[in-house]
Amino acid sequence: MALEIVGEIMKLTVLATLAIAGILIVLIWKKNLATKVTYLRYIIQALSLVVIFYLFTFPIWLLLMVGIILLMTIVLGRLYCGWFCPFGLYMDLVTAVRKATRIRYRSIPDKLNKALHKSRYIILLVFIFLPFALSSISIERLSMVLFFAGDFKPMKVLLGPLVPVIVPWKGLVVFNEINFSYPYVQEIMEYGGEAFGTYLSYVFVALTLAGAFIYRRFWCRFCPTGSSVAIVNRFKGFKWAPVVHLDKNEEKCTKCGICKRVCPVQVTEVYEQKGGKIGTSMCMLCLRCVEMCPYKECLKVKIGGKTVFKSRNWLEPSKSD
Amino acid sequence: MKSPNETQKKYVPDMAQKEIEDMRNLIQANSKKVIADYIARMKKTSANRPEAMKYFDDIADLFGQRQKEMQAAKESGKKIVGYFCAFAPIELILAADAIPVRVNSGWYDASKIGDRVVPVEVCPMVRSTIGAKMISLSPFLEMSDALISVLTCDGMTKLSEILGDFKPVWTMPLPRVKDSDQSLRFWNEEIRSAKDNLEKLTGTKIDKKRLRGSIELVQKATKVFRRLQELRKGPPVIMGRDAMLVNQAFMWDDITRWTEKTEALCDELDKRVEQKSWACPPDTPRVLVTGTPMIWPDNWKMPSLVEEASPQGVLVADELCSSDRILNDPVGVDEWTMDDMLKGISERYLMASTCPCFTSADGNEDRINWLINKVKDWKVNGVVYYVVRGCMLYAMEYSRVKKVLDRLSIPVYYLDTEYTREDVGQMKTRVEAFLEMLTARVDI
Repeated sequence: MALEIVGEIMKLTVLATLAIAGILIVLIWKKNLATKVTYLRYIIQALSLVVIFYLFTFPIWLLLMVGIILLMTIVLGRLYCGWFCPFGLYMDLVTAVRKATRIRYRSIPDKLNKALHKSRYIILLVFIFLPFALSSISIERLSMVLFFAGDFKPMKVLLGPLVPVIVPWKGLVVFNEINFSYPYVQEIMEYGGEAFGTYLSYVFVALTLAGAFIYRRFWCRFCPTGSSVAIVNRFKGFKWAPVVHLDKNEEKCTKCGICKRVCPVQVTEVYEQKGGKIGTSMCMLCLRCVEMCPYKECLKVKIGGKTVFKSRNWLEPSKSD
Repeated sequence: MKSPNETQKKYVPDMAQKEIEDMRNLIQANSKKVIADYIARMKKTSANRPEAMKYFDDIADLFGQRQKEMQAAKESGKKIVGYFCAFAPIELILAADAIPVRVNSGWYDASKIGDRVVPVEVCPMVRSTIGAKMISLSPFLEMSDALISVLTCDGMTKLSEILGDFKPVWTMPLPRVKDSDQSLRFWNEEIRSAKDNLEKLTGTKIDKKRLRGSIELVQKATKVFRRLQELRKGPPVIMGRDAMLVNQAFMWDDITRWTEKTEALCDELDKRVEQKSWACPPDTPRVLVTGTPMIWPDNWKMPSLVEEASPQGVLVADELCSSDRILNDPVGVDEWTMDDMLKGISERYLMASTCPCFTSADGNEDRINWLINKVKDWKVNGVVYYVVRGCMLYAMEYSRVKKVLDRLSIPVYYLDTEYTREDVGQMKTRVEAFLEMLTARVDI
């Protein structure tokens, strides 16, 4: 009974939040602030969180979702990471809390940032092979792994960041019969076993939350889920991927450095590259640089060959375009 | 803040008070004449000069209204901070409750006095500034409580040293390669120390609220500044000299008022665009000028020659740190924290600049990009590359600029001159020949 009431209240809260967010975005759109894309992104992230929550109630869909994400990252680049990923939303929320407390963010030195980005394959391997080192995975379970059956699925690591805070299955913490979880926690629990795993999960949660508080989009810099596009790009014949990409006009660029500073994952390529298609595997197309670039038509977002959004002189209110 | 004793001057020879006063009165009287003359000539060139220009004609009198206002502000306890290059962080000066004013000197006669301290090979703007200080000519330079000197070129570096004989000078050394991490860190520190200096001088703490206010104030100015330059993209609705004067008035005017008046000017120009009432025939050759900064009042001969020549040319854009480059770039702030605001300010001044004192793996490519962009978007027919003798950095970049513009088949004309009125006749012939050539091209 109590659970149902809480559930109803939560549904209403979600609805109310979405409504407020909707009003907010219309207002911001009208006021022509430079941040309208970012707000739009928050809304989409919140919506996709709800969708993903319901998708998780059907376990059969998990593999399908892995497939969809891989396909998305190949075709759309890391657009998924910037606009749909729930873990990204959590980090943005932590950033919002930090902004409210008026504490400044810090930046990871560019070189270290790049090294972290490269280490995402290692993190992926660690997540997949950790259970073999740590706990009792028997031959029978392992053979089931190969057929993507059974309770342990290494592929699920790729779905790690998708886990909502409230999950339909038994989570890390059960409070008033509501299951709370956190990205990657389920995997860590599985590897570590009951006691050690729980302990490890808390450490993981604390670390990522603290990381996101200090550095914007902390996990995205080395998230294994976002790595597929970089792999595909290496092969000939796949140079067209991703379809969605940033494009820079060198002549309009004064190299003022705003794009580099506002980037939540500190991508430097947008600043450094001379012009044309921006080739980077770290950019998650959050479009913050495009909306903050003060030069008209210097940065563009292109789908295929078509421009869908471009930088403008944000000092002026935009004409209804 | 004690002023150095007369006898302790390191560079400047002592001058008798009478000599100083005589020379000042002479040059000042002459300068007033020059100002009035140039404004009269600007009125003559442009048949239907915008009415809003009247304000800028008044503010252009360096010994007039603005001097009195600043004197009054100074007496009421406000501090005045002079600066030399377009790198000085105006936002910080404003946030510290001081008045920023750019004190580069454009007086031709003053450069002769500067010859007593430095040889004639030195850039005339530097010599003129020294001369102006020696005879207390510039009211803004006199009123400054401190000077911010950004060490861009060799001339500016030594100028700061020489002016140290008179005023406290805060130097801000620039890294020569700007797009590296360590350069930006270095410049960030410079900006922070400028902030500390300003706070010490005025006793006003630069807090988040004040700094945000001043950033937004300058952003408003940038907005209207850009609007004016956008208007110059189309058929000439304002003469280049008028626009240059408006741009340059920002250097000493009150920023809020300047923004309002320029806004009014733009509104008027917008109406003229609708009425298709142009300042000169739309097929007039469109000229871009790049190179050494041109400082009001005396150093106005090149723009005057172009726009008064026959056939006439019109300046539609430039790449001068005394005009189009002053306010082109806004401070972009992601989060309104102190740190981000200061970083935004430091990036806006360092990274967006196209000053030839910089180089990179690909040379001063920012300047090349600026020129290509201006030439394309402002539909420029020809470029005048203006260099004063002694301006080594601009002179040395000429070959590269010429090659790039040749590729775009835009004629370039290299014009080297001095702070002198003697070569005007000769320059006129050369400029007219260039414009004739451009006219022929426009006709085709």
